[in-house]
Amino acid sequence: MSSESPGFFRQLPGALPGLALIIITMVVIRLWVEPWMGSVVIFGDKGWLVQTFHLNYILLGILCGLLYRNVIFGGTMPDVFLGGFKMSRLMIKTGIIMLGSLYTFAAIVQLGSMAIFLIGGFVILTIIMVLWLGKIFGLDRSMTGVLANALSICGVTAAVATSPGVEAKGSHVAYAIATILGFGILTMFISPFIGHALNMTDLQYGAWIGTGILNSGQVLAAALAFNPNVAPGTAVSIAEIWNIMRVISIPFAVFAVTVWYWAGKEESDSAGKKKGLGTLLVEKFPVFVIGFMAMVFLTSLGAFGDVGIKGGPPASDVIKTLRLVMTWIFGFGLVGLGGFIDFKELRQAGGTPLKVGLIVGATKYILALAVVFLIKDYLVSI
Amino acid sequence: MANEEKTGSETIGAAGPKGKMTLFKDDRAEDIGAIIVTVIIVAVIVLLKMK
Repeated sequence: MSSESPGFFRQLPGALPGLALIIITMVVIRLWVEPWMGSVVIFGDKGWLVQTFHLNYILLGILCGLLYRNVIFGGTMPDVFLGGFKMSRLMIKTGIIMLGSLYTFAAIVQLGSMAIFLIGGFVILTIIMVLWLGKIFGLDRSMTGVLANALSICGVTAAVATSPGVEAKGSHVAYAIATILGFGILTMFISPFIGHALNMTDLQYGAWIGTGILNSGQVLAAALAFNPNVAPGTAVSIAEIWNIMRVISIPFAVFAVTVWYWAGKEESDSAGKKKGLGTLLVEKFPVFVIGFMAMVFLTSLGAFGDVGIKGGPPASDVIKTLRLVMTWIFGFGLVGLGGFIDFKELRQAGGTPLKVGLIVGATKYILALAVVFLIKDYLVSI
Repeated sequence: MANEEKTGSETIGAAGPKGKMTLFKDDRAEDIGAIIVTVIIVAVIVLLKMK
């Protein structure tokens, strides 16, 4: 009650220095560093850095954010820059809503039906696996509940959304988040290499990371790191549809885990904490998905002109500009995301929650890859 | 007492406003903010590209 933060607009002026740092970083990367990397000759090869490390503005942006926090500022973002970095999720969500301009409803139905099947299957399997392992390893029931949804849906948001329903303490949420972020950072950096090494198509890669990577921001980063182009059929367009399907399932998974928690708990005095699915849907539904669907609706109506789907007419000027702006917004957002990766905090992860998290996270990551290869002939492109 | 954590408090150890990863009071407010920002950006682009 005492820790109410001031409103957004009152904090906005204080966010300007951090925003300026983020914007300058991305401008320098895109206008100078990236072109230089593409032209510099190392070991006799032009663009060796790009070909070998698949470095692009997305990975460089995250690395810069990470460097600011953990090296230059010694592990704590200074107050003067903190406000600006807190705008990063707003930018990522704005970009995801704008991504709606890549799809028409027909494409969503094509892609989405497969996504619902895969995502639904993986969410249910992951929850069951965590609950089972939690029992085997003797994990606290609240910790197990938080970890189940953190590992099955979209990481941080799901962990926080689940915590009140399963009476989780701050430390449970902290352990779960540290575990998934640590694992997610690893997968965010290695996935593009694996994708290129296995000669995966954008469709296969997008479906894999949209299913196998735990956190929304990391899915976005891994997709753009594999292919920085934003257009229908690129890795980011596939991965985000998968991710949106997963995000939509948050209230349902919170409900399921809350029911599991209270069903196994001996009769207690706090039965008032149980909430119905309807209440959870109203409280936890991620509203930005409505914005995304509104963009899809407008695009389907042709409000922005031609989308530029393969074989059709080229994209309109409005759509091309929207896509260009999107790449910048994602770039800014991911510098900010890097600034929230704190190595000190990641060290909080440990013990049994980490063991369970790693087992389940790795299983899901590898299984998703195997499933995508198994059903590759059935994956539908847009 | 119900010690519900607001969604949006998404950094580790996010007990107070300082640890929050957003300037908004919670996830929902941030979602609505993102929708408003998108509307502004799209409107500006459409207006600029109108002939």
